[in-house]
Amino acid sequence: MASETLDIEFRGVSKRYGDVTAVHPTDFAVPKGAFIALLGPSGCGKTTCLRMIGGFEQPTTGQVLIGGADMAEVPPYRRPVNMVFQHYALFPHFDVSANVAYGLRQVRPRLTSSEIARRTADALAMVQLAGFGKRKVHELSGGQQQRVALARALVNRPSVLLLDEPLAALDKKLRTDMQIELQNLQRELGITFVLVTHDQEEALSMSDVVCVMNGGRIVQLGAPDEIYDRPADRFVAAFVGKTNFLDGTVVENGGNAARIRLANGMEIGARLTGGGAPGAAVSVSLRPEALRLGAATGETGLGGIIRNRIFLGSTAEYAIEVPGLGTLLATADHDAARSDLLRPGDEVAISFNPGAPLAFPVADNKTTQRETSHVEVLS
Amino acid sequence: MSKSYRDGLPLSAREFIDQLLRFRRGSISRRHFLGVTGLGAATAVLAGEFGLKPMPAFAAGELGDRMSIATWPNYHDPQTFVDFTTKTGVAIEVNVFGSNEEMLAKLQAGGSGWSLFVPTNYTISTYRQLDLIDPLDLAKLPNYDAAAQNKRFTAEGEVAGVLCAVPKNWGTTGFAVNTKKLTAPMDSWKSFFDVAMTTGSGRSMVHDYQLTTIGNALKYYGYSFNSLKPDELAKAEELLLKVKPHLFAISSDYQPAMRSGDAWLTMCWTNDGAQLHRDIPEINYVLGKEGGEIWTDFYAIPKDAPNKPAAYALLNHLMDPKVAVKEHIANGAPSTDARVNALLPKDLLDNPILYPAADLLAPLEFGAAATLTDPNRAELMARFKSA
Amino acid sequence: MSSAARKRLVTALLLAPAAVWLFLFLVLPFAAIVVFSLGERAPAGGYAPALTLAQYANLPARATAFWNTLVLAPAGALACLLIAYPVAYYLALKVLPQRRLLLVALIVIPFWTSLLIRTYAWMYILGARGIPAFLELVGLPEMRFINTPGAVLLGIVYGYLPLMILPIYISLERLDRRLLEASADLGATPFSTFFSVTLRLSLPGMMTGFSLVLILLLGEYLIPTLLGGGKVFFIGNALVDLFLQSRNWPFGSAIAVALVAITVVLLLAANRLTARLSGARQVDLL
Repeated sequence: MASETLDIEFRGVSKRYGDVTAVHPTDFAVPKGAFIALLGPSGCGKTTCLRMIGGFEQPTTGQVLIGGADMAEVPPYRRPVNMVFQHYALFPHFDVSANVAYGLRQVRPRLTSSEIARRTADALAMVQLAGFGKRKVHELSGGQQQRVALARALVNRPSVLLLDEPLAALDKKLRTDMQIELQNLQRELGITFVLVTHDQEEALSMSDVVCVMNGGRIVQLGAPDEIYDRPADRFVAAFVGKTNFLDGTVVENGGNAARIRLANGMEIGARLTGGGAPGAAVSVSLRPEALRLGAATGETGLGGIIRNRIFLGSTAEYAIEVPGLGTLLATADHDAARSDLLRPGDEVAISFNPGAPLAFPVADNKTTQRETSHVEVLS
Repeated sequence: MSKSYRDGLPLSAREFIDQLLRFRRGSISRRHFLGVTGLGAATAVLAGEFGLKPMPAFAAGELGDRMSIATWPNYHDPQTFVDFTTKTGVAIEVNVFGSNEEMLAKLQAGGSGWSLFVPTNYTISTYRQLDLIDPLDLAKLPNYDAAAQNKRFTAEGEVAGVLCAVPKNWGTTGFAVNTKKLTAPMDSWKSFFDVAMTTGSGRSMVHDYQLTTIGNALKYYGYSFNSLKPDELAKAEELLLKVKPHLFAISSDYQPAMRSGDAWLTMCWTNDGAQLHRDIPEINYVLGKEGGEIWTDFYAIPKDAPNKPAAYALLNHLMDPKVAVKEHIANGAPSTDARVNALLPKDLLDNPILYPAADLLAPLEFGAAATLTDPNRAELMARFKSA
Repeated sequence: MSSAARKRLVTALLLAPAAVWLFLFLVLPFAAIVVFSLGERAPAGGYAPALTLAQYANLPARATAFWNTLVLAPAGALACLLIAYPVAYYLALKVLPQRRLLLVALIVIPFWTSLLIRTYAWMYILGARGIPAFLELVGLPEMRFINTPGAVLLGIVYGYLPLMILPIYISLERLDRRLLEASADLGATPFSTFFSVTLRLSLPGMMTGFSLVLILLLGEYLIPTLLGGGKVFFIGNALVDLFLQSRNWPFGSAIAVALVAITVVLLLAANRLTARLSGARQVDLL
């Protein structure tokens, strides 16, 4: 892909702090206008990557390109990107207007003050804070501060907006609202958003592309449904969404149609990722919503006893003790949840679609260890 | 270059230790005032560690175990107090002051804690008038011999026929000049102030003391040292304001600056002049031929003295000619007591700094009591210092 | 006892020691000074009861001392500030954290010795047998440093620098580094970031240091006496002379009251200014 259609490109970028490697050599590219989420647990290197784009960290090796230009000698204040900082980092000594206008005042040649005022007002209107200009920052609510940070970062019309855990400090209700707003904003502006988050729900719901990172490496890059439905390894399966893991061994490796023997002796069909000779130990992931619960029939299938029922409104979760396999989590939809059929103590039969189980080799880390985690450029 | 590496050192190790001890000896709050600044007191507890060895003459406990005296810097032989403590078991705390005004201020404020102090002649009548000192009971001072005293110097110890103070020593106020730096001969206050404004500019000092600084400026014009006349004081003020930009410092603690070579010319008291000349021969002590001050320092006991028995015992000890002679050798001021003079080494008696020629002594004046309390002289001094 | 009454009692008991202390050692002495300032000087010095404003009318007699103090104290504090800021900045933002503690300790250590002794040491360093002697040794002409305004300024800066460095250091150390990154991110050069963000947000620390040093300098008399040869006359020197030399207690008291009034006005103004410039919710001056 030609670099002028790329906003951000990492070429063999790594970052070491002394003996600690925060980011292993990584190649990675983001096309113009994408909304990409860097997702991973804390310490996975996602924030370091973001800070290398912003210019706050220098890569130990490799090149960071923005809009096709090498950023090696370019300080943060000359990069065409802006950032929404974690906890917003609003200037406490300025009012809302001055915070938003800050970037405009740095523009050389200088903008006229009427131009600055106009664009500041526009930016505040864009985040629905028109009329809040004279407020002190500390007088605003968390959500309002979030919007000020957004307006401040967007006022200079960057080609890329970096967002570092932007919603982490908000309560759940507000977070959902902001997720929608951010998505709309990104579509309206048509610029690239790079979001760093440890919240998989946030990553899946907002972005076009999710980049899952672990231990300083990119583990999987793909559309949210792809990440969810076809995790690249056991880590991704565990980190993204809820799942049940069942221990098993490979009976026959047929790739998409492998046979796996579970710990209770039952044999099931599963899609095996990462390979494994017959006899190899695997972990089988079964999403709770893939499990269907029914009245016990006495047939030789999967069955167990309901231990707990967690009512969640639209759905309910059941903890089911399955002999030989431990406790499985199952989600039932609204209708099933209301039925009197499934009560703690009841015996239930468990079924699932043949394509649902995903098997991963247990010694996952070893097999996927590579010097460079090369992930294909998205189109 | 004949200079050795040591000459260039700021001060010798010994001097440094001396200075350090000078501060160490005191309580922290008071030493901020003292010695160095001439504004307060460095307090020293001497001989506190020497233990209790009362002489048979003093019943144990009769004199208490400590007393405090107020006196002037470099004014005593430290051995005097050590001997007294050894003899009586009374530890002596020494407070050092820079001016009579300051001593008076402390006594007026009350609670000074002194049992003995050393006021100058012209202040005694004021102390008596303010009822701040006790008449002396000569029965408790067998070592004092009025007949041996030179009456010229002892007269002011008596106020309205009551003996309130006995003399420690007398002296004069002249100036000290470093003749290597200022070679032209100087013999008058006129020459003092003229040189201070010319060849001695930036190297001359006057006292931080209204009596002598204003008095000697008055002598420049031939007026009385004690003048309170507004027109004469105005002339003195004019001279002082004119000389101020040329001064190295306004301070009564002039020995360090003279010794280090920072200052070349300073108003000076007999005893300091003698000490400076003894150690640095090119520093001469000169009396202004127009006149100036002659003075006597006395011992007196404050009315509120906390330990009067010890005060009398120490005073009697100090009046012993054999003790007094060591004091005079140490501080370099002449004695008022014929018995002491008889014991002094000949070279001291022949020293013209201590015993100037009669024609130089003749025009000198004792300080007048009125100058101590006169508000105009105080304000003149303040204007001079703040200008 | 009702719980409200109990609460009041507990509050009263907790505050009592401080209140008694302040009353005995701040309110009473100050009241005494105000009373003295309305009196007259007794003929031989001290205080004679009276009710007159004559002492206050006489304040212009010390105009020079007030002027010296009001010029030199802020100038000294400003000199301290200019020298302290880069040091504090270096300590807070540039030094490796593991070395920071050592360097801060080095700044505090001189405080273990009395200011008098340290200032007295400067008398020797600046005196004829100190720096001038060394300069002469290397062939430079005779020079004099001691008892000059420059020596007083040096003494002031030397004596009070740590009091200025520490509050500025603390305010810079607490400074949120992400604000500096945010500033750079928004296009501000390091120069611009320093003036728009760092300097503005360390203003409370600067003001604390400035006020501390200013208050001490307004009452200073030791350094001008020792390093200025008694020729530089501060209000502190005027007070010492009035109480210890001319024993004019009422006039001295009037000057003391005036000094307190000036100090309070200066501090309020400084407080106001800091609050406005830094936009902080509260500014702790001391």
